[in-house]
Amino acid sequence: MSHASTLQVLGRDTPRQDGVAKVTGREKYASDMSLPGMLVARVLKSPHPHARVKSIDTRGVSDPQAVTLTPQEVPGIRFCPRLVSTPEATYKDWRVLTDKPRYVGEPVAAVAAESEEAAQRALEAMRVEYEPLAAVYDAFASMEEGAEPIHDVIELNDQALKVERNVACQMEAREGDPEEGFKAAAHVVERTYRTSRRYHAQLETKSVLVRPEPGGGVTIWSTTQTLHNTRILIHEIFGIPMGRIRVVKVPLGGSFGSSIQVNTVVPIAVALALKSRRPVKLSLTREEDLHDHCSYQMVFRLKLGADSDGKLVAGHLDAWLDIGGHQVQAYPLLGCVVGWWVSLYRLPHKSYVGKAVYTNKVPSCAFRGYGNPQITWAVETLMDELAEKAGVDPLDFRLMNYIGKGDLFWGQGPTVKSIIQSCGVEEILSRGSEMIDWYNRPKAGSQRGRYRRGVGMGRGYHTSSAGAPVPGTVVDFGGAMVKLNEDGTFDYVSAMMDHGGGTMDANAKIVAEELGVPIHKVNIVNADTGTTVYDVCTHASRGIYSGGGAALKVARQVKDKIRENAARLLDAYPHALKFRYDPERDQAVIYAEGVSGRELTFKELAYAMRHKNLGTVAAVDSYRQPSCPPHFTGYFVEVEVDTWTGRVRPLRVVAGADIGTVINPKLAAGQVHGGFAQGWSMVVNEDLPHDPATGDLLNRGFLADYKVPTTRDMPNLDDFTVFFTDTYEPTGPFGAKGIGEGALNPVAGAVANAVQNALGVRFYDLPITKDMILAAVGGKEGQA
Amino acid sequence: MSAINRQNTHIIPVDFQYHQPETVGEAVKLLEAHPDAKPIAGGTDLVPKMKQRLLEPGHLVNLKRIRELQGVEDRGGEVYIGAATKLRAVERSETVQRRLPLLYSCVRSIGSVQIRNMGTLGGNVCNASPAADGALGLVALDATVQVAGPGGTRTVKAGDFFAGPGKTVLGRGELVTGFTVPVPGPDVGTCFISVGRTALDISTISIAVALRMKGGAVQEARVALGSVAPTPLRLPEVENWLKGRELDEATVREAAGMVSGGIKPITDIRGTAEYRREAARGMAMEALTRAGGLEGRSQG
Ligand SMILES: Cc1cc2nc3c(=O)[nH]c(=O)nc-3n(C[C@H](O)[C@H](O)[C@H](O)COP(=O)(O)OP(=O)(O)OC[C@H]3O[C@@H](n4cnc5c(N)ncnc54)[C@H](O)[C@@H]3O)c2cc1C
Repeated sequence: MSHASTLQVLGRDTPRQDGVAKVTGREKYASDMSLPGMLVARVLKSPHPHARVKSIDTRGVSDPQAVTLTPQEVPGIRFCPRLVSTPEATYKDWRVLTDKPRYVGEPVAAVAAESEEAAQRALEAMRVEYEPLAAVYDAFASMEEGAEPIHDVIELNDQALKVERNVACQMEAREGDPEEGFKAAAHVVERTYRTSRRYHAQLETKSVLVRPEPGGGVTIWSTTQTLHNTRILIHEIFGIPMGRIRVVKVPLGGSFGSSIQVNTVVPIAVALALKSRRPVKLSLTREEDLHDHCSYQMVFRLKLGADSDGKLVAGHLDAWLDIGGHQVQAYPLLGCVVGWWVSLYRLPHKSYVGKAVYTNKVPSCAFRGYGNPQITWAVETLMDELAEKAGVDPLDFRLMNYIGKGDLFWGQGPTVKSIIQSCGVEEILSRGSEMIDWYNRPKAGSQRGRYRRGVGMGRGYHTSSAGAPVPGTVVDFGGAMVKLNEDGTFDYVSAMMDHGGGTMDANAKIVAEELGVPIHKVNIVNADTGTTVYDVCTHASRGIYSGGGAALKVARQVKDKIRENAARLLDAYPHALKFRYDPERDQAVIYAEGVSGRELTFKELAYAMRHKNLGTVAAVDSYRQPSCPPHFTGYFVEVEVDTWTGRVRPLRVVAGADIGTVINPKLAAGQVHGGFAQGWSMVVNEDLPHDPATGDLLNRGFLADYKVPTTRDMPNLDDFTVFFTDTYEPTGPFGAKGIGEGALNPVAGAVANAVQNALGVRFYDLPITKDMILAAVGGKEGQA
Repeated sequence: MSAINRQNTHIIPVDFQYHQPETVGEAVKLLEAHPDAKPIAGGTDLVPKMKQRLLEPGHLVNLKRIRELQGVEDRGGEVYIGAATKLRAVERSETVQRRLPLLYSCVRSIGSVQIRNMGTLGGNVCNASPAADGALGLVALDATVQVAGPGGTRTVKAGDFFAGPGKTVLGRGELVTGFTVPVPGPDVGTCFISVGRTALDISTISIAVALRMKGGAVQEARVALGSVAPTPLRLPEVENWLKGRELDEATVREAAGMVSGGIKPITDIRGTAEYRREAARGMAMEALTRAGGLEGRSQG
């Protein structure tokens, strides 16, 4: 029997509290906000990929209301916009405005004026003189001797750090004896893989509104995944006492990781607001947003060896990360790349060398999966090849080697280790393979003719948070407050952000489940930094596991307090009291069983407590999750390749996910659909190349030439099956884990393997474009 | 000031004067009076260019208030389509669906419903993009472009209308008033195919074919390709070669090879020259097969 059958609120689809506002367009995002007397800001961006600013002349700005800002007028502090790691893992190389731009689009100056038009005019009246420097767009060229240094000195742990050969940071790891391991291996495959740069294409571009407050403070509404880290960074840069910095929660129009770091617009707008002493709004255009962030491009040299029984024995991975002009979180990512890799399959002997390299391109940051989709694509591609070599079915090969329950897991890097306590991998693979009829898929390369079909699979996982029993270099804890209102409803207050996936509703449901009330009794409060305790960030698929964990911890405390107070009022023993829900009164009831009259609704309790001056039933606390449970996913994909045009179409998708207790089935399935769309596009479509002639993006930032898939590119809904395993995570709130990133991570591997199955050709570069497919198939052969 | 700082897609960062004539005559006068004027219909091509500062017209002459430029009319042997008719109206017109299925497919493949609700057929043609799907259909159907200008009206064959990317044969003060499209007879088969990076994309390459058949033989052929040349491209050598030939698989393959060899595409952000040449072969095979009614035999 399923563990879920006792749940009242969880596991059911419930309307979202922000649903009506969102579908009717009434929700106000940072980019929609305005304040009386507000100025609108524009950023002056470097047209050079690498240059020194010799002078900025603002005298041409004739508008008396316009307020300009130059690098000399901002605090001369080097910072890292992402505050998730401990100081020894935080590399600082950013400034609010730069006098040495390192990519086309880097903010050099800014101006605020009465309107967008006025600001635009003022911007065009500014004159900047640059001394162009040599630029480099390739990580390997960048590491060569004699390449122009992109950064001379950066900071680590408050110490100056000299950058050598444009290597931003590096990491090595080793376990066992890989050399001996490979010697003992019967089958070894080594390949080099290259991924692309992808733009997040989140709906809302990076935006901020800043209001200067009397007394030197600021109030900030911004696109962010973290209220508290925004406050800490603004405090670090501007020295404003933290109590005077108020960062207010505002709905976020999607993010996919691009607002884990405090966005570049935020400190610029703060500086302009402080200077002008007026509210300042700064919202990037789509083109500016494309010049602001993208995924990490990675090159891997991956080698795996298996013994004659098909057991993996050794592995080696070299990873090169092309990070663009600045570090957002390159060092922690180097840890995650190895962590993702070694936590997929058991490797007794393994070694790793990871390097992050500066180039004169748009800075990379986390993008859903944080490197996991990239490395999982490489591993899942290689696993297929190795299985073939070992003469084992690829699916069976995975079942023999995967890391599951009872195994050590360190997806979030070498300092974040815990033991896996729940695992649905077998169920995903057995149910999925049955649905797609795996063992009867076509033999690779057996087809001729124009249209060729292929079936491929890929599996993977993502962490739910970066929790662990002991501290590492990753900060990960959150908190919540819950209080009983005078009508028997509850307020749930948390600094956690919802990117649009329904995180806050899920956590409110956890509160409702614990307190035995329907979801409409738990109100999600739009909070700010002053009214919440710290929460690190909504990332790492930690929203439900950590955020929900905090909500549950606090809800339990509230329940205890309800018990204590009710016991006093009912003259009963607190531990003997029971709870039930009375739908007629629409009230939760606390009562002594079998004794008539000894009961109170929550409303009556709160009413009595107010009139007897007993206080408010409330609790606030922080919560650190004890583990880092992976949520597992697996995809089986059928594609059709048109060998005349190179077009690949998805025909059928079967996706299985082990996310522990499912809180919102439809929203969870929605994450899987979206994950598939992004992973699909990563394989067949997306790339953000730079033009070596200008250093600018080849598409100059225009979305018309950065295509993301729409529903028309996806399979019919009837051909897209999502199922959830019957699993329970003992450390998660009501057994729940995450889903957001695991929904994406194995997709690229599954799709690429399906293309290989259709054509009998393997590709080692992403995206697999139509050009590549036609070239590989050979036009003539395709038309036979 | 560099382009990256002059662009601003939040607004239209160009100073212009806006005019709303109600007749073609008034529009022509305005265009003639202001050499830096541009007509604007749906604005779906023009406005993005202004936001990018690729075009900075001093005057915009709105065509949407001009009644004469609107609507689809069945005139028996030909269909007349006003230049400012919305793409969505063209697509929804029963006349177009029934009598000009080729143009219908071309128009339907343009952008999304939202784009087709704004964009017009005249804008699609006058924007003079080699990738324009509506323009390609008109070229393949041998439509005639109706032009009004200071010197009165004139007509131009659709195939002669384009002078290069973004360039037409329109002179100062001239605008397009509509298109007359000959209705293909029952012996004509047509086919349009395009390939983009995603379903909602400007074509990387497109092809429109019309074949007049008698028995199994080609009487007359029109083969036009998009995104392979500076303008929508007709291939007279292939058309002439097909004329009189029995349309079988071998003919189709040979003609497709001529199509592939007869184009000189470039490499751009949407695809490489090699890709376009190779894809043209397969697309020509499919288009000729379908237009010639050989379907079912082509998939081998
Ligand atoms: C997201 C998106 C997707 C798109 N997808 C496609 C696609 O798939 N296929 C495709 O072909 N196009 C596509 N387009 C381009 C565009 O929508 C079409 O070309 C549309 O038909 C243009 O018509 P319009 O009325 O908006 O033209 P406008 O922008 O108003 O005008 C275009 C040009 O023509 C001139 N002009 C307009 N009318 C006349 C006239 N009567 N006489 C003389 N000059 C005139 C204007 O001065 C301007 O130079 C897309 C555009 C967008 C924004």
